[in-house]
Amino acid sequence: MLEIFSYPFMQRALLAGIIVGVLLAALGVYVVVRKMAFFGDGIAHASLAGVAIGLLAGFAPLPIAIVYAILVALAIYWFEANTKLNSDTIIGIFFTASMALGVVLMSFIPGFQPELISFLFGNILSISTSDVITVAILSVVIMTWLLIYRRHLTYISLDKDSAKIAGINSSLHDIIFYIALATAVVLGVKILGIILVSALLLIPAATSRLLTGTFNSFFWVSIVVSMLSVVLGLLLSFFLDAPSGATIILVATAVFFMVAIVTRVSTR
Amino acid sequence: MQSQHHKHEPEIIVKHLTVGYDGKVVLSDLTFDIPKRKITAIIGPNGSGKSTLMKAILGIIPFQKGSVTMSGHDVDKSYGKIGYVPQRFDIDQSFPITVKELLSLAQSGAIHKDRMKEVLGEVGLNPVTVSRMLIGALSGGQMQRVLIARAIMTDPDILFLDEPATGIDVAGEQSIFELLEHLQSEHDTTIVMISHEVNLVEKHVDNVVCLNRGLVCSGPPAKALSDKVMKELYGQHYDRHDHDH
Repeated sequence: MLEIFSYPFMQRALLAGIIVGVLLAALGVYVVVRKMAFFGDGIAHASLAGVAIGLLAGFAPLPIAIVYAILVALAIYWFEANTKLNSDTIIGIFFTASMALGVVLMSFIPGFQPELISFLFGNILSISTSDVITVAILSVVIMTWLLIYRRHLTYISLDKDSAKIAGINSSLHDIIFYIALATAVVLGVKILGIILVSALLLIPAATSRLLTGTFNSFFWVSIVVSMLSVVLGLLLSFFLDAPSGATIILVATAVFFMVAIVTRVSTR
Repeated sequence: MQSQHHKHEPEIIVKHLTVGYDGKVVLSDLTFDIPKRKITAIIGPNGSGKSTLMKAILGIIPFQKGSVTMSGHDVDKSYGKIGYVPQRFDIDQSFPITVKELLSLAQSGAIHKDRMKEVLGEVGLNPVTVSRMLIGALSGGQMQRVLIARAIMTDPDILFLDEPATGIDVAGEQSIFELLEHLQSEHDTTIVMISHEVNLVEKHVDNVVCLNRGLVCSGPPAKALSDKVMKELYGQHYDRHDHDH
């Protein structure tokens, strides 16, 4: 069975999938406790405009989509901090406006756009070596920040005022968190697609939440569940000849339901 | 009993403080000071601006006019030396964190087991039974004590508490005030709290700041909380005996 990983495209897919899975699961823990599920979905959809700008300008779409997503994330942060509007409303505006911009820009590009389809539904098997390197470098930078400042981010997520008074620069860490999340979501888009990426932010964290009794175990079990889902999903998609991104999400969902049932039964 | 040397030394000086948002003035031209190594209570009716005042003093919300100095400096210079206990309803109790983990947020590096035991013991909790509990499993009184424990983990010079006795039974309210008296006398901490429990304030604190959008009074409770002031704060029908526990 493991010989399938002797194919270079599967090696790249496995490596990129695990790296992005770890990144999304680690940030997903904070998305869940901060009740920011819509943020991931919004940023993923908004990145379509970045993909379209990249394709229209003749640049590689991934870096342009990352820059665009970061700008949208910072705009969301600014509106949250400086207006009376709810976060959901602000995200909804940027989500739909960017989608609309993406659709209009796409209409100016003649012919079939395989890149667009790849971003909509993801295509982990077509990931190139340079994409894997981009994914690895950005993920290492984000994970390094997260592991160094995990206590700060946890404190801010639980009690922002107390964290500030304790001497933590909560605004700076919040901005970095938004940038990290936007970057991770776009990296995930390359693999899972705009429509499915937020699933890997939420499902492993939700599964871990059901299984664990401390914040530390919540964080690490979420990462393990995500890695497990990526590896099993890739294997299953290969043998079923099914789309990889969707199969990874279905595996993660199956794990979630199994855990939900088992933990419910065991607490009765 | 405090020494005469410390009696009038101010820890916090508030001058002409005006706070507002959305075009409305919430607090207007407040000038008072908070003495060092004493317990001060900010009191006033609902909507009088107590929490706004505390958050403005702490630099959590901006103010339009005036100045606040803490230990002779701008407030942000004191960050890290201040303990803050928010209203427990401001904390999401579904957050999956244990008491031990919550306490460890307050300090960098690994939490020292002995320090955690010491602090939990000081606030009247059993470290063995409480430290591994998720915060969602704590009672209101236990949660309040855990938040106080977190705030004193770093042995702060000044401790701020936003309504620490709210939502706790009468015996619990009394014991929270006794705990604050103990913390003040043991550690020489300056304590600033918001309270609705006027009778407990009269018994347990050294200094009051009375608010009703503007400053109504400040000073030792026996002197500051006259019947006239209480009626100005809580209305003409206020009877302090109705508030005895």
